[in-house]
Amino acid sequence: MEASTKQESQYARSLIEASLDPLVTINTEGKITDMNEALANITGITRERLTGTDFFDYFTEPQKAREVYQEVFAKGSVADSPLTLRHQAGKLTDVLFNGSVYKDDSGNVLGVVIVARDVTAQKLLSKYSLSLIEASRDPLVTISTEGKITDMNEATVNITGLTREKLTGTNFFDYFTEPQKAREVYQEVFANGSVADSPLTLRHKGGKLTDVLFNGSVYKDDRGNVLGVVIVARDVTEQKRIATELTEAKVFAELATEIAEVAKSKAESAKSIAEDAVKAKQQFLSNMSHEIRTPMNAIIGFTKVLLRTDLHLKQKEYLNAIKTSGDSLIVLINDILDLAKVDAGKMTFSQTPFKMSLSISAMLHLFETKIQEKNLELITEYDKKIPDILLGDPVRLHQIILNLVSNSVKFTAKGKITVRVHLLSEDEEKVTIQFSVTDTGIGIEKNKIKKIFESFQQASSGTSRLYGGTGLGLAIVKQLVEPQGGTINVTSKIDEGSTFSFTLSFLKTKTEAELETAVIELDEENKNIKILVVEDIALNQLLMKTLLEDAGFECDIAFNGKIAIEKLSQRNGNGVVNSYDIILMDLQMPEMNGFEATDYIRNRMNSMIPIIALTADVTTVDLEKCKAVGMNDYIAKPVDERLLYSKIISLVNKTIFSDANKHQVHIDQNLNVSSLNTKTKCIDLDYLRHRTKSNPVLMMEMISLYLEQTPPLILAMKQGLEKKDWDLVFSAAHKMIPSFSIMGISMVHENTAKKVQEYARTKKQTETIPALVLQLENICSQACKELEEEFNNIKNTK
Amino acid sequence: MKNENKIKLFLVDDDAVFLKSLEIEFLQHADFIIETFATGELCMESISNNPDIVILDYHLNGIDLDAMNGIDTLDKIKAFNSNIPVVMLSSQDQINVAVNCMHHKAFDYVVKSETAFMRLQKIITDILHYQKIEKELNWYMDRM
Repeated sequence: MEASTKQESQYARSLIEASLDPLVTINTEGKITDMNEALANITGITRERLTGTDFFDYFTEPQKAREVYQEVFAKGSVADSPLTLRHQAGKLTDVLFNGSVYKDDSGNVLGVVIVARDVTAQKLLSKYSLSLIEASRDPLVTISTEGKITDMNEATVNITGLTREKLTGTNFFDYFTEPQKAREVYQEVFANGSVADSPLTLRHKGGKLTDVLFNGSVYKDDRGNVLGVVIVARDVTEQKRIATELTEAKVFAELATEIAEVAKSKAESAKSIAEDAVKAKQQFLSNMSHEIRTPMNAIIGFTKVLLRTDLHLKQKEYLNAIKTSGDSLIVLINDILDLAKVDAGKMTFSQTPFKMSLSISAMLHLFETKIQEKNLELITEYDKKIPDILLGDPVRLHQIILNLVSNSVKFTAKGKITVRVHLLSEDEEKVTIQFSVTDTGIGIEKNKIKKIFESFQQASSGTSRLYGGTGLGLAIVKQLVEPQGGTINVTSKIDEGSTFSFTLSFLKTKTEAELETAVIELDEENKNIKILVVEDIALNQLLMKTLLEDAGFECDIAFNGKIAIEKLSQRNGNGVVNSYDIILMDLQMPEMNGFEATDYIRNRMNSMIPIIALTADVTTVDLEKCKAVGMNDYIAKPVDERLLYSKIISLVNKTIFSDANKHQVHIDQNLNVSSLNTKTKCIDLDYLRHRTKSNPVLMMEMISLYLEQTPPLILAMKQGLEKKDWDLVFSAAHKMIPSFSIMGISMVHENTAKKVQEYARTKKQTETIPALVLQLENICSQACKELEEEFNNIKNTK
Repeated sequence: MKNENKIKLFLVDDDAVFLKSLEIEFLQHADFIIETFATGELCMESISNNPDIVILDYHLNGIDLDAMNGIDTLDKIKAFNSNIPVVMLSSQDQINVAVNCMHHKAFDYVVKSETAFMRLQKIITDILHYQKIEKELNWYMDRM
């Protein structure tokens, strides 16, 4: 019995000793009566010394420990009261104090048994998570079920600007800009258990706002009762700022593109206005120079005629002044016309065989008087290796050298002018020639050299006052050289002189040069020549007659192409058909113009009589047309009589040479001259052929469209005329206009249509419209007839 | 497959002769898909075919006074899709007509003449160039 009791108590003892938690028994006076090894370890004091000492002395807060101890006596036990034990070396151990009284068999309290549980590890753990929470930059708050703040981290303090003490126990929702919304979110947490990313704004006490995303979830006790809510409010200020900047950047970019687009459309409309203005300017220049040329023709011509009459010295002097002024005016007009052509891209270069050496010497010949007057020396160096005959545009080459030499003469007071023509290279197909004009004149400043090739620019603004000129010459030279693939260079030294040089390539050819550009002097034996002049303006008729008869030619006048043809087919008294040696043909005439007349003479009358076109407007388009209808040459108004004579004579001689029978005009006697107009073709399918590449299907499609569209337009025009519905007339004319050029109908008729359109639009001169519409009707019905024929031709040949 | 790379052109003109000549030129000079319309109404019926470029006559109501005119058609096209470039075509060489077209967001304005086709060709090249630049700009904007 004894032994088993002892054994039992030994067992309990070892259990007690094995516990890591300090176990102590204290008597009613608070003195330690017994303990286990763990207490000795935690306090660092031996059992012997601990026994009988005051238990409370080993705590950091003895008073609190004593109170807990008294509580044990009062209540019989105490649970989990937090206290801290002190090791004698100073180390502290957090413990949870649990105790209960023990009594003897009769129920008297003997003392207290205390277990002090070591909670250092737990405490560390919770400190660790606390520090994690504190480290978070997002505000973390716990809220009680009533919505009061129970705990928070440092981030919350920073964002609200209030201390922890002040925050604790206050209403959480008060710190948001929208408390009501915050409350709703908070209620949602209770309802759903959690909420995620609800956007709210926190207010700092200083007024600063912080945008947050509100995340929360409830926390419960072990039994599942809701204790409160943990809330994490994520600070999204930075994200919000970036987002705002992004939208702002986007808005800015959009604005910028809008501004750019507005600017672009402005620039575009300005551009189109400018282009139209340029076009109008070119048209104006072209028209004006044409209009000025016609009267100048008469002025200069008659001055020349007058100069040949008996005059006294004063009169001669005055007439010479008129002629010189007239000549310079014509040069200016030609220059302007040339530039306008270049600007309009209408400048073309011919490829005709010509004799280079003759061409240049003849041209320099023109300067002889001027050079002698100024007492200068003209030196020509011509490379003999240059082939005799070359293919190129002699007229333009003249123009270039003429401009350069006349500049040199103008700006040189003494010394010499050297013209060099030098063979640069030669291969089987072509030669490259360098032309240079060197003078000993005033020279050009280095910084002005670029400028002198611009229109209306001279090296110094004073130049034109001193030396005259428009400043167009070099601009034209540049425009003539560069499109032909050449280059132009200038070297110059002030007061020593300038050298202008340019290179051009010419194709070699084996054909003979057609026309001598050299001026042929009048010969007595050439004077038995009979000339038919076809010209509608009385003044010009008189001028031509005077000029030709002065030179000893026989001269006859026809008012227009139709009369000319009648004259050609008339028989004289002896029953012999009138014979002329050559025809001078004006291009723009009423009834039948120069092109139509020539076409008739060549194709209907089968006559090869030489025809020279007289034209005031030397546009290249017209010249090509002259050649196309079979004219031999052209001469520009105002007529240079020496050029006129030489052209007449060379053409007549050639024809005599090649045609021993002379130019008897063979006429189909059955031909009714009055029906001429309808027999001449008014359409020309060249353009269409070109455009369709002679594709018969496409051509037929185009023609049938025209045939379909045109009659109703004419009808509409006439109806409009009847009802005086000018808008209808306008529209019909307007719609008709593009088809003229497509079908190759003469510009004359297109212009008629344009007139109708213009008059109908402005409702001016409406009284002239009926006649114009009639003209259009005639020409269109003729065109339709011809096109039907063509249509059938194409169809049959297909 | 090949058709996807071709440029789709709408030509609108009540002048059948001119319309045909334009069509012929376009077909000969470059790879285009071409649809032609005599009136603005017909053009609008097919606008959902999404042309790359529309070439539009200014004076569409010349004979049929009830027909939709060029400017109205232009506005309708722009209302349908403001990105479709429209080039106006007219035999009128009056500046105010051209300016008016530009105000209605036409891309350009061409006067009917022998050189009209050349100008149109040049304008189409410009349009394509411009569209490319705009696309690049948009791409960069998106990246921003």
